[in-house]
Amino acid sequence: MTTVGWLQIAIFAAAIGLLTRPLGGYLARVYAGERTPLQPLLGPLERALYRFAGIKAESEQNWLQYTLSLLIFHALAIAALYALLRLQSVLPLNPQDLPSVSPDLALNTAVSFVTNTSWQSYGGETTLSYLSQMAGITVHSFLSAASGIAVAIALIRGFARRQSSTIGNFWVDLTRGTLYVLLPICVVAALFLVTQGVPQTLAPSIQATTLEGASQTIARGPVASQEVIKLLSGDGGGFFNVNSAHPFENPNPPANFVELLLIFTLGAALTNCFGRMVGSERQGWSLLAVMAILFSLGVAGIYASEAGGNPALTSLQSAGTSDTQLAGGNMEGKEVRFGVAGSALFADVSTASSDGAVNSMHDSFLPLSGGILLANMMVDEVIVGAPGSGLFGMLLFCIVAVFLAGLMIGRTPEYVGKKIGSSEVKMTILALIAVPLATLGLTAVACVVEPGLAGLGNARPHGYSEILYAYTSAAATNGSAFAGLNANSPFYNLTLALAMFVGRFFVIVPVLAVAGSLAAQTIIPRSSGTLPTDRALFVAFLFGVIVIVGGLTYLPALALGPIVEHLQLLHVTLY
Amino acid sequence: MLDLAMLALVAISFAFAAAYARFCSGLLAPGTGRDGSS
Repeated sequence: MTTVGWLQIAIFAAAIGLLTRPLGGYLARVYAGERTPLQPLLGPLERALYRFAGIKAESEQNWLQYTLSLLIFHALAIAALYALLRLQSVLPLNPQDLPSVSPDLALNTAVSFVTNTSWQSYGGETTLSYLSQMAGITVHSFLSAASGIAVAIALIRGFARRQSSTIGNFWVDLTRGTLYVLLPICVVAALFLVTQGVPQTLAPSIQATTLEGASQTIARGPVASQEVIKLLSGDGGGFFNVNSAHPFENPNPPANFVELLLIFTLGAALTNCFGRMVGSERQGWSLLAVMAILFSLGVAGIYASEAGGNPALTSLQSAGTSDTQLAGGNMEGKEVRFGVAGSALFADVSTASSDGAVNSMHDSFLPLSGGILLANMMVDEVIVGAPGSGLFGMLLFCIVAVFLAGLMIGRTPEYVGKKIGSSEVKMTILALIAVPLATLGLTAVACVVEPGLAGLGNARPHGYSEILYAYTSAAATNGSAFAGLNANSPFYNLTLALAMFVGRFFVIVPVLAVAGSLAAQTIIPRSSGTLPTDRALFVAFLFGVIVIVGGLTYLPALALGPIVEHLQLLHVTLY
Repeated sequence: MLDLAMLALVAISFAFAAAYARFCSGLLAPGTGRDGSS
């Protein structure tokens, strides 16, 4: 580990802290329907969209209407993206003459991007036409992020409103999030990336001749426009197969730093938006504090593990049987321009945030680091998370925490002035149980059936970790992979699509039910008996609840994979 | 044919999700937005 490495991590954390409040205030104004500086520019477009779609912007929906609107929108979105991928060979903007995507892969990809997962069982530059990348992948990165934020905002309204039968209008939240939040940031950041060398062109790939005289195809395309929303949306699906490790997606350390900021900024700002909307910014800061603790532990663990190098190589060196030089840690699968610190930070941010973009190969991380990446996703990615889903995941844990605290001290649990009753707890448990059921259930199936085992790139514990990682990533809507697993088969395409579907919609539905239930309540004034949820004690308690719930659910699964592999590695047994 | 099967899978999945929303609605306490109209 180096001082520069730690400094890199500290500067990133400080930058997120600085951006949280101003962006949180902006988000609160956007979703309250207030005037923003972009209103003169985007207001006419917003109104035109409402007129075109027949939406009455002033008309609000109850939670069930909000949910059904969301489900209908996503069903149509999956069908549209599926059709686009299946028809790409006969559609324009396909300069490489790529064939249409196979049915099972098209379904997997459509579900993946509409659910904000961006699991990719394909290599982007060799599978998708420019039209599929732009009108398919990029568009749905915008819409899936806006949907996630809309759900979080609906839940915040549930906490903030008193005796209300409505939680907002899904179509308005979707439109305003896309126009006023995602689009402006993307335009500015895409221009920055272009200045750093990221291509933005509709010209076909280049055929180059190397110094040795060989022929090489250099893929390019409309990369910058997709790159930014890929990161900002928490989607993570890259234009190129190797994602942000590719120099055309992420050319240098300044671009890498901006990409990291794009991944975390919106999720962090939503905590401040929550605090403002419920009338106490301190509530938002306490959530961000829990996220910061979990993030710090994760990044420190990964950095320490990777910087320490591979114990198997170290032991060979000390025995004098190898002349291998360890260049500052485990550099396998990492880009030299980012180094161990830059790769460890990106990996932690990517799995904590639900983004799933990678600037190094997670499958080449040491077992302990891989275990931390898995754990980040297993706690429902509440460590900032994707825009929206991180916040509503954290608020679900808050409900569990105040419920447990209420049981301990014998008082009715309350959170930000709302009573947490049996309805809210039932819905919360339904939401929290969906991801583990999909993850562990489908992992178990894949470990015992032939089509599941056929995709393995490694044996024994590491092979198991590859399968576990795939389903964890899919159900947690992350999208990153231990890429040793060949998941482009009908079995994996369909079962991973199922995991993504369950991990997205079977969480969102009960979350919106909680929002509706809370909105209908009155707000209870704070009294001497109220558990303060904006103090350090609650931060520590919430942290403990997340770790214990996550540990009880997933520790046995982790023990069979990364933990066993780490112990074997100490005895120089490799897989 | 496979395309129809895939799209049918999507339709069935969303029908199931909508039914799940109705199920959640039934679990909510009366008077707290149970049917979304109170």
